[in-house]
Amino acid sequence: MTQAAVHQAPQPILHRPSASGVRDLVAGMANWRLWSMLGWNDIYQRYRRSAFGPFWITISMAIFVVLLGVIYSKLFHQELAVFLPYIAMGLITWGFIAGTTKDACSQFIENAGIIRQIRLPYTIYAMRMIWRSFIVFLHTVVLIVPIAIFFHMEFGWGTLLAIPGMLLVVLNQVWVAIVIGTLATRFRDFTELVATGLQISMFVTPIMWPLGAIPDARFIADINPFYHLIELVRAPLLGSAAEPLSWIVVLVMCVVGYGLAAMALTRASPRLVYWL
Amino acid sequence: MASISLSSASVEIPVFAVGNNSLKTALLRKAVGGKFGQVGTNLIINALNDVSIEVRDGERVGLIGQNGAGKTTLLRVLAGVYPPTSGSVQVVGRVSPMFDISLGMSPDATGIENIRVCGALWGLSRAEVDAGIDDIFEFTELGDYLKIPVRTYSAGMLLRLSFAIATLRQPEILLLDEIIGVGDASFMAKAKARLEKIVSRAQILVVSSHSDSIIRDLCEKVIWLDKGSVAAFGAVEDVLAAYNASV
Repeated sequence: MTQAAVHQAPQPILHRPSASGVRDLVAGMANWRLWSMLGWNDIYQRYRRSAFGPFWITISMAIFVVLLGVIYSKLFHQELAVFLPYIAMGLITWGFIAGTTKDACSQFIENAGIIRQIRLPYTIYAMRMIWRSFIVFLHTVVLIVPIAIFFHMEFGWGTLLAIPGMLLVVLNQVWVAIVIGTLATRFRDFTELVATGLQISMFVTPIMWPLGAIPDARFIADINPFYHLIELVRAPLLGSAAEPLSWIVVLVMCVVGYGLAAMALTRASPRLVYWL
Repeated sequence: MASISLSSASVEIPVFAVGNNSLKTALLRKAVGGKFGQVGTNLIINALNDVSIEVRDGERVGLIGQNGAGKTTLLRVLAGVYPPTSGSVQVVGRVSPMFDISLGMSPDATGIENIRVCGALWGLSRAEVDAGIDDIFEFTELGDYLKIPVRTYSAGMLLRLSFAIATLRQPEILLLDEIIGVGDASFMAKAKARLEKIVSRAQILVVSSHSDSIIRDLCEKVIWLDKGSVAAFGAVEDVLAAYNASV
């Protein structure tokens, strides 16, 4: 809470339409102590009483990757040593993207208690969800180690590009979470739409099938934002840098997306609490 | 200097009937020429109607009215969580809205962990939380219980802890939705003393209550809310007399 808080009813014409949204974004991200604490708390809360804790996520991802890798490599006549790492890196990255997009739908509704009592930037609740998902993601990333050892994968300096790639993916998911979160709070069936969209995207995006399997399918990948997001992380881990196109697409998405997020927050923040 | 100023503030809460907050309805409305995002056929509750009040530094204000008169809504407006749908609200000062004191408690976390998370939620810095832990140990008398998950606590113990955390920070403006009753009789006295200390140090107090004696004890002015509007705002005895006559 601020020292002096002035709450004005929304004006019919705003001179700077995104001003309050930008303020929300900046203040929300700056309060990292609160959202990181709340995010950690979610993880503790969920796994405190289980023996393996969040490593259940690691185990289930491992089983999924191995089974799909073995079956699909046969299906697409791919060499397992190439295909299994491909499917693993793709699924791990997709897990973060899909998980955050889906959880974004309920992020404000879950925090209704806090929102109705303490005035905080709405961005904090998106960051809480993103941070929690990132911790979960780190639990699946460890799978890279046994896969790399088993299939004798070679890492070089170029592999490190996966780190800025992942950071950009995280940054991208923040605006996605804010935009989707506001829409899903206002229109409750938006959640169903997102779930269906994600399910379809998982099969349309080259994650479980190699891009080369359908020679004419190049455009399916190029027009698919999920493909470019995944490539930023997957390509360097598999020993080739992501194409410049993927970097450009994701950077442009971020620029446009943060503009959208600021607009969504500006429009929604005078009303969002009444939608909960 | 803390101050509160409302000028013709109103709060209209849309009640989305089943299916009304769906995308389909919104799109259909658009198709027939309605305005996207407009409330359209939804029911609207006028929770607060054209409320203008000035509360100056040092004032202690009581809030009375029947259930549903808008007491909690007004407190939420003062807390900054309900932006008025028309009119304006200006609140200057550090606000503590004590509506639900157990806010942010997670049952599987230990007492200490809950102190850290809830403390951060109440706006305390890390240093302030660290400094307050000893105080909470002493005040709650929970001892080693603070090191185990709060789900093992009795209702009274849980209330002690949440009360201690919520009152750790000295606010400039204190908002209370009904006075909090805390646990057994011996602890009650201790809690009352702690609350009174905070109340006396706060520059502005706004407290809603159904009890005339609490209002007489704590306040020198009273706002009587009726169906979302201010029916009377003035000295305690005058407003209480008018209110009791009307009920």
